[in-house]
Amino acid sequence: MKYKDKEATRPYIAGIAYHAARWILGVVFIYAGIHKILDPAAFARAVHLYQILPDGLVNLVALVLPWVELFLGFLFVIGIWMPGAAVLSTLLFMVFMGALSYNLARGLDIGCGCFSTSPAAEAASIRTVARDGMFLVVSLYLLCATFGVAFLRGLRKRGDS
Amino acid sequence: MRNREGSPWKQALRQVSLIILIAGVVGLGVNWLRTDSLPLVGDWSVRTGTAGDTPAIPLAEAARLFSEQAALFIDARYEEDYADGHIKGALSLPWDDAVRTRFLKIAGAIPPDRVIITYCDGETCHLSHDLAVFLREKGFKEVRELVNGWTVWRDAGLPVESGNGPPP
Repeated sequence: MKYKDKEATRPYIAGIAYHAARWILGVVFIYAGIHKILDPAAFARAVHLYQILPDGLVNLVALVLPWVELFLGFLFVIGIWMPGAAVLSTLLFMVFMGALSYNLARGLDIGCGCFSTSPAAEAASIRTVARDGMFLVVSLYLLCATFGVAFLRGLRKRGDS
Repeated sequence: MRNREGSPWKQALRQVSLIILIAGVVGLGVNWLRTDSLPLVGDWSVRTGTAGDTPAIPLAEAARLFSEQAALFIDARYEEDYADGHIKGALSLPWDDAVRTRFLKIAGAIPPDRVIITYCDGETCHLSHDLAVFLREKGFKEVRELVNGWTVWRDAGLPVESGNGPPP
């Protein structure tokens, strides 16, 4: 009881940050997913231009990844399956960042293919890598928060029994 | 007790697998229902002479080959775009229905081992890619693709020219 009174405001702030992070990633993933689902052929071309995946996997990834993003977005917004969603989004942002940086480093001028697949879309650049890095930080925070909560719950249960 | 501490990770792993599984089923299902569905394994190959060689060429390498006059540039855009401006010395071979007839006119002058760099404009423009596949099928061994070629070339201040170019 005493612990609760003393630290009354901290969980409150943490709660706001947690839900804000959840909503940010949710909206980002839904937005990113929908654009790619609407034009799979264009997204497949964008994936191909990254020249990272073997040719045989390009279409498969182009067909499934947008739905993973959309589904992840909904999970974040609703706030269920948070451990899985946080792990997967962190992994995805790491992969995106790696792929973007790799192509920047080897001087390939390609489209980001992040939020739009149209020819007029933005190019992969330091800016898109930095934006990805920011999402990665939000995702990492969510990962820590989610597993922190799960860990504490586990401790409490252990205390009860 | 160990089991309980390990459980969030196990739970996460199970959820990650389920998310990918559901997305996979929905994604492939929707693709199957679409009238313009993508093949599951697409043909993206532009086979270049050496294995492991990437079809796309970085701008720096294309510029080097240009200055050494070691490559032939082929413009896959429409004739009007070509006339408005193109890479200096590039040939025009628009990727359209008439590409085969036009190709026959210029093919004789190109040795089969010549490095060819195709380009069009825009990061997701696929004309140059399709043209590269076509040229490769026609027996040219070193066909590369300069992605978003016209824009990156012009922005880099590399030599350009306009007009209808050399007669075929």
